[in-house]
This record gives sequence, C-alpha cells and structure tokens, in this order.
Amino acid sequence: MLRIALSLFRYRSLLATLTSRELKARYRGSVFGYLWSLINPLTLLLVYTFVFSTVFQPRDDSVAPYGLFLATGIFPWLWLSSSWVEGTASLIANSGLIRKASFPAELLPVVSVLSNLVHFTFALPVIGTGLWFFHEQGHPVGGWSILAAPLVTMIQIPMVAGLALGTAALNAHFKDVKDILNNLLTLLFFMTPILYTLRTLEGFPPIHWVVARNPVTPFAQAYQETLFYGRWPGAGDWLTMVAVSLGIWLVGAFVFDRLRDTLVEAV
Amino acid sequence: MTAAIEVEGLSKLYRRTVAGHRLRTLKSVLLERSLVEGLRPEDSIAALRDISLTVDRGEAVGIIGSNGSGKSTLLKILAGILKPTRGKLRIDGRVAALIELGAGFHPEISGRENIFINGAVLGLSRREIQRRYDDIVEFSGLENFIDEPVKNYSSGMYVRLGFAVAIHTDPDVLMVDEVLAVGDEAFSHRCLRRIEEFLARGKTLLLVSHSLDLIEELCDRALWLDGGQIRESGLPRRVVDAYRQSVAEDEGRAHREAKEQREAEEQREAEEHREPEPEEEGGDDSEAEEDRLRWGSGEAEIDQVRVLVDGEERYHFRCGEDVTFEISARAHRSFKDFVFGVAIRTPRDFECWGTNTDLEGWVPERLEAGPVTVRVECPGLRLGAGEYLLDVAVHARDGTPYDYRRRLASFSVTAASNAVGVYHPEHRWSFTGGVELQREGNRQGGSEDGG
Repeated sequence: MLRIALSLFRYRSLLATLTSRELKARYRGSVFGYLWSLINPLTLLLVYTFVFSTVFQPRDDSVAPYGLFLATGIFPWLWLSSSWVEGTASLIANSGLIRKASFPAELLPVVSVLSNLVHFTFALPVIGTGLWFFHEQGHPVGGWSILAAPLVTMIQIPMVAGLALGTAALNAHFKDVKDILNNLLTLLFFMTPILYTLRTLEGFPPIHWVVARNPVTPFAQAYQETLFYGRWPGAGDWLTMVAVSLGIWLVGAFVFDRLRDTLVEAV
Repeated sequence: MTAAIEVEGLSKLYRRTVAGHRLRTLKSVLLERSLVEGLRPEDSIAALRDISLTVDRGEAVGIIGSNGSGKSTLLKILAGILKPTRGKLRIDGRVAALIELGAGFHPEISGRENIFINGAVLGLSRREIQRRYDDIVEFSGLENFIDEPVKNYSSGMYVRLGFAVAIHTDPDVLMVDEVLAVGDEAFSHRCLRRIEEFLARGKTLLLVSHSLDLIEELCDRALWLDGGQIRESGLPRRVVDAYRQSVAEDEGRAHREAKEQREAEEQREAEEHREPEPEEEGGDDSEAEEDRLRWGSGEAEIDQVRVLVDGEERYHFRCGEDVTFEISARAHRSFKDFVFGVAIRTPRDFECWGTNTDLEGWVPERLEAGPVTVRVECPGLRLGAGEYLLDVAVHARDGTPYDYRRRLASFSVTAASNAVGVYHPEHRWSFTGGVELQREGNRQGGSEDGG
C-alpha cells in the first residue's frame, strides 16, 4: 500500500504527462472540446432540477435554490463516479501498455482519477457563478467556507483512487466487476444525500441509518456545507473524512498490490 | 567481467483458461498472488522450464527458436513485464525493451507528445527527454510528421519512432523482440549501426529474432530455446546451424509425410473415380501462379524430380554427400530435337548452378513417346548450408520450351563448417613463414566438411 503510494510519487511526472495525454486525447477532434466537461453535468443538473423542484417538491426548505444545492452535490459525485468507472476499465483499455512495456500499472487508475478531477475543476466556475448570482439575489448561500472545499477534495483523492485501484485490479481478473459497479453506482447515488438532505430521512430510521453510514455521505455533506450553506465543517467531520478516505485507500491499494503480479497475464 | 543479467532456475507457467473457474482464480490470486498456485499440472502450460543463464556486461545474446518456444516470454520476464512463476532474476542497470511496435504510443496524440510519454515509460525524466528530443526526432527521420497523431503513421514509422526513443534512453541493457524487421532497408541499417555503437560502448543486448543471419552478424552468443528450455547455447554460427538442421529435419519429415499422404489420397481418388475430373472453374490466381512457374508447349512433360541420396528420397542432406536428381518425364510424341536441363537456385533466385544436355555436348538422337527417366548424379555435392530450389526443363535446342518447370522441388543442405556462401569446395590451410596458428579444441574445420 505504501509501495503504491511511493510508486505514484516516483512516477509523478509520468502521471502528469499521462493525465494531460488523457485530457488531450479525449477531446481531440471534437468541436466543443473541453466544454463537454461542462455541458455533460449541466444537462444532468437541468433534468434533476426540473424533476425534483418542479415536478416534486423538496421536503426540506433549506435547499432553495434547489438547482444550486444539487450542483454542489452532483459535480463532486460525477468526479467520483466517472473516475471509478474509467479507472476500473483503465487497465484493460491500456492493456497494450502493461503487456508490452514494463509499465507501472498502478498509474492508470490514478490517471483516470486525476483527469476527471480536472474536469471537476473546470466545472467549478459554474458553481461559483451560481453562488455569486443567488447571493446577490438575497439567498443566504455561500461564504468564506468555500475556501475549505478544495481541502475536502484533497482528502477525498485517496478514497477515489483507492476505489479505482481496487476495482481495476479485480476487473482484470473478473470482467463482471465493471457491470456490478455500474449497478452499484446507481444504488450509491440514491443512497447519498445529493438529491435530498439527510434530515428528510428522519422519518425513515432504517434508511437514515444506512445513508448516514454510506462512506460517500460525509463528503457530499461537506461539499454542501462549505459551498451551499456557507458553513465550516466541524473537527469531527474532518476526522471522519480523513479516516474514511485513508481506510478505503488502504483496502483498494491492498487489493491492487495483491493482484499486481498477475495483472499482465489477466488483461 | 560482471554479469548484466543473472537468471537462475526460471520457470513460467501459464494458466489454461478453464471455464467456470473464475471465482476460484480470483481467490487464488488474492491469497497466493499467483495464477497457477495449486493448479493441477493439466491446467497449466509451462512456457519456460528451469532456465539458468548469465549474460555478461557487453555481451550480445541472440535468442532463437520456433514459435511458442518461450523466447518472448523469457524476454518479457527479463524486461520486468511478466513475473516468473519460480526462479531468481537479477538485472544490473537500466533496461529498455522493445517488445512490440509502439507499445505505449497513444494513437490520438502527436508523435511529439508520444516521445515524452514513451520516454517517461522507459524511465527518463521530462528534462532528460527534452535534452534528447532533437536527436530522437532526427534519428527517426520523422521531422515532417512529428506533430501528426501517430494513428496516421505507417507501421514502419512506428518502429522508427519506437526504436529512436528506446535507443536514446541510453539503456544499459537493450532488449529487442523482432521489431527491427519492419522498417525499411535504410532504417534497418541505421538501427544496426546504432546497435553496434551501443555494443561498442560495452552495453548489453538481448535480441529475439527469426532472422538467423542477423543473429550471426550481431551476437556473440546464441541461445536456442526449445519447448521452454535452453537446447543449445554458444557461438551463433554453431547454434544457428544446429537449429537450421533441426528445422530442416522436421520439415523434411513433414514434407515426406505430406507427400505420402497426398499420394495416398491421389491413389484413392483415382480408384474412386476412374474418369478424369472436369477442370475446376475460377482458379485464376492459381493459374497465374502456375503460369509463372510452368510454361511450354506440353508436347513433352516433366512430371517430377526427386532428390536421392543412397537411392532414398531426401529433403535434407549434408554438404558433400552424393546426390542424384531423378527426373521423370513423358513425351507425347517422338522427338529428334530435345534438351534436358536442371538448375539449382536459392529461394532468392540466385542461380547456383544450371546446366543441360546440350551445353555439355550431348547430341539428341531420339525421344520416343512414353515415360522416360533422366538422372543427374552429383558425387560429393558441395553446396553451402541453406535452402535450395530445383528448376527442371525439357526444350528444343533453339530454346523452344516443351515443358519448363520452376521450383519443382526443394531441398535443404547443412554444412559442418562455419563458412558462408553457396559453395564449399574441399580445401586445406597451410602456413609458412612467421605465422603460427593453433587448432581450436575439437571444432571441425573446412577440410573435414561433410565427411
């Protein structure tokens, strides 16, 4: 686990090169280029906002304006889910690299995490503009706590990387992992307080219990707190996030480390 | 001398794909870190068995062997791509491996960016690549294409870029698997010169190739892998010869078996339908091929030519053996004007020997309708090692062909000496004056050739 962290550090310049290659290759030949990394989440945002603020009424008054609340949850979620899905497929997608060259395979899932992090960062001005706009309109949103949001992301990186590493290695041996993951992500999305707040679930204790223990929940809430509500997370929240993130990194990196020697033959 | 590569008791097992064992596999890799641990022997395939090998620094070692003999697996393990199932392995210095063209090239991005990625994969820092960038581009000769996405490159351009990056990473050990064959002649020469320079600087080379000539030319030592084991190791000339001989013997056997089978089938068919089959339609390609290899009026026909040693049909013989070429022909009318000829050529169409009855002063008297046999006896035929093809013809004295057949038969020759060329005359060395040479161990010299 430490070995993987060290290897990532040692190959940091390769990691940067590969990430930029990933970003360049993705939008090469497309007219809108990186604008797609804005358009894709915005479409999703638009649909959810329409359904959950016009068709259904939110049950928690604190979430107005709902579109902005949703944005602060959905953008980080998309980073996690796309990193996880792409990272899982990354070993097989780059099998040429690990089968034909002596290549540190652990870089590949992490490249997916980092390139999606860049997309996530590109989308941040949208949230910023929204915060400013609604703040001017007299909504009690945003504040200096926005400065803590990058810290949340930094703490979350080991967790996302751990998830991607673990499933990537499993997926090399066991191709069903990718499909299991797709279903798991749908489930996980609705089990995370992104469309709703945890408070709305107080009337349903068993569901509340599950959602509160979802490892993504502390992060989703931290983004909403720092960006939307303009509140600083408490010391307990930070500790929880660090513990969850490191824990998941350890498990993911352990699985990857175990499977590493056999990867070349499996992909 | 210090060893650049030390390998001891290296084995590699591959797991057979067994349906329905996926979960068990997963469990075994998670717990044992191995795909083959605890597998029954019938579920695994040994690609390498107990290989021990030391390569000295500055040595150039060529690895030969048939497909599936374990060459590439060995190279991949030495390059650190695959993990051995058992055994120890130690490599001193930076390794650059060219296992496959453009491994690590990303098709969508430019050659320029790919140089940086490829260089980083091979262990260079960004600054080091920056410093060598111009040399790399110049060596590859791709100045005009360097900003194109590499998906637009030809396979030759891929190798050029790949080799240029690899050689400029200044490795201590260079491992090359076959890829040099893809570039054009000029580039191949440039690569070879570069490899020679590389060797001159005392670096180590491992070369896997089916080009035995290249191995002989470049390497200090050849390693013959057979069924995952080292069958022979030593001077390239000797190992390559032994390998060629073995291949020739296998081919000869296959050739004979195929021929016997064909004859048996023909006989069976002939018995089944007594009438001749109607000509097959649409065989344009094979007809064109046929035209190239056979022409003439057909008034007389060459049916076959057999290569005989001691009255026995052979595909393979040794330099210096007594060989007879036996031509079976049929005349459809009687002739007064006819010439029989034979020629021996290399597969590249170099004519080693060609002669006919006319050239050697035989004046035709009569050739009656019906089958005839013509024999050319060559006592002590001293051809050099290699593959040869036989052309046989019957024609008029003015050259008008009755039946001219190119590449009608093939055979293979092995020579005991390490000399090159298509002709190995009997010869003897002698030295007078202030010159002294010592016979090396039990190595055979040219004069004992073929015995």
